[in-house]
Amino acid sequence: MSQRVTVESLDRFRANLQSLVAEKAKTLPSLRYCDLRIEVREESGAVAENGAAKASSQDYAFDFGVRAIAGGRTTSSGYFGRVLGTTDLDRLEDVVWDGIKQAHQRARASARQKFQAKGRFTHLGGSLTATELAPVTISQDTVPAIFKTDPRQVPLSETVRMSVDGCKALQGQGSNIVYSACSASTFLLRELFLSSDGADIDQSFAQTEGFAIAICTGEHGNYELYDFTGHQRGWEVLTQGYSNGPIILPNFTDFCKKLGADAVEVSAAPPLKPPEKEVTVVTNPHFNTLLVHEVVGHPSELDRALKYETGYAGRSWFLKDLQENQLGKQIASPLVTAYSDPNIEGYGSFKYDHEGTPARRAYILRDGVLEEFLNNRQTAAIMGVEPNGSARSTEAQLVPLIRMTNTIFAAGEQDPQSIISEVADGYYIDGHRTPSIAESRENFRITAVKVYEIKNGQLGQLYRDGGITSDSRDYFMSIDAVGNDLRVNPIPNCGKGQPMQAKRMSNGGPTMRGVARLTGPG
Amino acid sequence: MLPLSDLRRAVKNALSFASSQTDVEEVEVFASAGANLTVRLNYTSHIPSNGVEEPKSTEGYGLGIRATFRTPEGIKTGFGSEPTDLSLEGAARALDKARFGAVSDAEFVSLPKRETPLRANSKDDKPDNYDPALMRIGGKGLVDAGWRMMDRALDSFQSSEDLMGLAGSADKMAELGLILGGDVVMIQDRMAIASTHIPRVQTEQNTLIMSFATAMIESQASKGSGWSVGSRLADFSGEAAAEAARNAVESMGGQRIPTGSYRVILGPQAVAEILEWVLMPGLSLDMFIAGASPFMGKLGQTVASEDFNLYDDSGAPGLPSSKSITDEGLPTGRTELIRDGKLSGMLADYYNYQRILNDPQGREKLGAAPKDSLCSIAPRNGFRPGNGGGRDFASPPGAVANNLVIEGGRGYSHEELLGLVGNGVYIGRIWYTYPVNGITSGDFSGTIIGDSYLIKDGRLAAPLKPNTVRMNDNVLRLINNTLGIATQRRGTVRWSSDQVTWAPEIAVDAFGLEEISEYMESV
Repeated sequence: MSQRVTVESLDRFRANLQSLVAEKAKTLPSLRYCDLRIEVREESGAVAENGAAKASSQDYAFDFGVRAIAGGRTTSSGYFGRVLGTTDLDRLEDVVWDGIKQAHQRARASARQKFQAKGRFTHLGGSLTATELAPVTISQDTVPAIFKTDPRQVPLSETVRMSVDGCKALQGQGSNIVYSACSASTFLLRELFLSSDGADIDQSFAQTEGFAIAICTGEHGNYELYDFTGHQRGWEVLTQGYSNGPIILPNFTDFCKKLGADAVEVSAAPPLKPPEKEVTVVTNPHFNTLLVHEVVGHPSELDRALKYETGYAGRSWFLKDLQENQLGKQIASPLVTAYSDPNIEGYGSFKYDHEGTPARRAYILRDGVLEEFLNNRQTAAIMGVEPNGSARSTEAQLVPLIRMTNTIFAAGEQDPQSIISEVADGYYIDGHRTPSIAESRENFRITAVKVYEIKNGQLGQLYRDGGITSDSRDYFMSIDAVGNDLRVNPIPNCGKGQPMQAKRMSNGGPTMRGVARLTGPG
Repeated sequence: MLPLSDLRRAVKNALSFASSQTDVEEVEVFASAGANLTVRLNYTSHIPSNGVEEPKSTEGYGLGIRATFRTPEGIKTGFGSEPTDLSLEGAARALDKARFGAVSDAEFVSLPKRETPLRANSKDDKPDNYDPALMRIGGKGLVDAGWRMMDRALDSFQSSEDLMGLAGSADKMAELGLILGGDVVMIQDRMAIASTHIPRVQTEQNTLIMSFATAMIESQASKGSGWSVGSRLADFSGEAAAEAARNAVESMGGQRIPTGSYRVILGPQAVAEILEWVLMPGLSLDMFIAGASPFMGKLGQTVASEDFNLYDDSGAPGLPSSKSITDEGLPTGRTELIRDGKLSGMLADYYNYQRILNDPQGREKLGAAPKDSLCSIAPRNGFRPGNGGGRDFASPPGAVANNLVIEGGRGYSHEELLGLVGNGVYIGRIWYTYPVNGITSGDFSGTIIGDSYLIKDGRLAAPLKPNTVRMNDNVLRLINNTLGIATQRRGTVRWSSDQVTWAPEIAVDAFGLEEISEYMESV
């Protein structure tokens, strides 16, 4: 009973695990490369419904994952992942070594079959190639977490109080709120990345998140609205809010009040009856958070572009093949620049990704021209480009995928109010709700929390159940104004992979103006 | 994988230990051991690729404890879990976490009891979904399964006269841009449960193997799918990949259609996707409690065409995803959701079952007094789903379907449905179909991405070009606009889940379709 898994538990094993990966693993037959990720998360959180506590917990998560690349006449990858617990503290090296051996066995078996398939399928086997990783700087580094209030020092009762108070604040916004729920959580995560190349990276992160949902009755049917807040910081994110540059987060109580007030306001509005023709739309930063995520970030992920996600998350219209693609082409208005940058503050910040690649900014669109895909070491090698540090998993036991980090539309120069006031006849699209995106991200329909009519530069009638739809290139080419009011928001639940991984990241943008068709009910 | 006997012993000992604690009023101990073995595929004939991309697995085992505690502030309830330790020390840690996190929940009545309208499964109708060979499969078997899919797809491509004709010679076939994506997923699962109210330790072990493949001839913008689901290793042959390749070849030369309202046939995958993502969230009892179902107050009322029936049969013998007991220790069974077009029930776990019985607005929310509707709200679906499938000791229970079945009152053949539609569209595979204006509205949007055809004069006439049509409609209207439902059903697999939906083809009138992405013709 004396042992307890904490983030400090990893100190005890770091040197031995490094030796296991960098030395012992190399004794395995035809092993070319091996990496190990192991993590501990210490977390507290609570859930409340209708102003009453429903659950709370304080717990840890402890797990590891291994990748091995091995083979003789050709090479392949093999993986292994496992949940760990307190009892593993006394046998960790053995458990991890078993995982390394299993990943290695899978890699070798797959390499053998790949070689055989190349011979068997004379005309179609030519593209089956050895698994290679593009070179990266091998790093040894320790990166501490940033916080004012250590997540481990937050009393569990405080998370309960926060979720209950959030619920009450939300519910107080209107008598037609028939249901409310809130959650508040905070954790400290420590990740080790060790590789046979000699990488030895120790990164820690604090993360604090709040969630709220309101369901209202309304003349046109019940209306549900939910949203998240959070940042890579300590508990202060929810108690005090957080403000730095484009990140402006209210404290949790105010966040819940606004969500409740919005839900009450929108539930009373009439449903939007969209005109047949395209209209001028001004989209606000919260709406553009989801737009950049779905229609710029996702198609820039090189695993999609190289067809890895054909069966599930979809491909990318940016790339048909290595010769025929949109790289270097104008696919958006020259006013549109979008980049992914793990080095700036956000929900997707880190110094090294889960392959140990140093993080850097990647311009996806610069002045409307497609410049770079987000990649990992394997896809970078296929494209013959430098890795940009975009491989991440949600848990160490799961395989890293190519992921957005802090992916945003860059700020422009125009005052957002003037972007609206220049519109004689149009619509203001305020806040994102739910996306439906075409398979290669070439078309989208995204619904909004609020849609306002714009008449002679002034906001008018508010509508519910509205949104916009467009072909992606047409919409981005139509952008004729970009505001200077950049905001960056947390996206806590981006699903990708099999089994599915729901990843946290940041997205954002300023106010923008373009042309699209409106959508309504149905 | 730990043997079932270890889980049984751990649960028995943990229950005895927890029950002896002076502050424990009630306790339930759940233990599971499970693994998810997945091999992902990525073959591209025109881009360097690995074929079998990721042979991988995740695994874990442990104890989860739900308990109620006597405290100076009254009864509190909590949940705690401990991984990789089935000893009494592990049980003590899990119980301590439950105690530490316990809250006063005025809506909590008790941990699950058998005094519900649930029929225990007899020995004869217990599902037999356990295959020792699949439970034992290791890394090599996983890799073999992936390469078998690859072989079947490449065989199918290579032997296609259509592709050979298109390429001009075998040497040039790779230039057509042949793609195979997808995966094989194997679930190995063991569980044991006992509680204060149901003290006899109940156990179950399940295996499941699912495959899903998408094939493309990218130069022709054609796409085909194939899939399979079974509970035994022998159920897997790799045929899903060959089916996907054949379907991709058959759908070459796809055409566009203009925006409009169409008579359509939704194929099994399309039916499953719309129901799972748009309709089913509104058929869960917790959504009625929250006021978030589109069917508020409609229990017993007509909500769909008379011909439309929907139920979950979690305990059905012979279906791969069946289980004999829930993760609350209660017998599984059949939950009628919509019968003859009338709202008949909803998926429930025990907590929400008790909650609605004591909800002062329960009658208004359901449309009938809860105490008079016990069979409609019985807790047959309290499960603890792991990520990607299986049963997870670390998750508290929630309402989950296992075998969702859609059936028509009058059975139609495929040909009869085509005749009913006359001229329209067969929609085989859709994607990213979400409730865009919230669950309560029923509005949904998604795109058609493959396996789809134009219907002319009651026959499949020509392929529909993938990614050129967006669906914009409402699921409540859809289930009221059915023209006919086919007799034949097919088990469809769901992303990152072991739920199987047994879906037929459904013909629907006045379905909203919008032409999209014309610019892609020149990209």
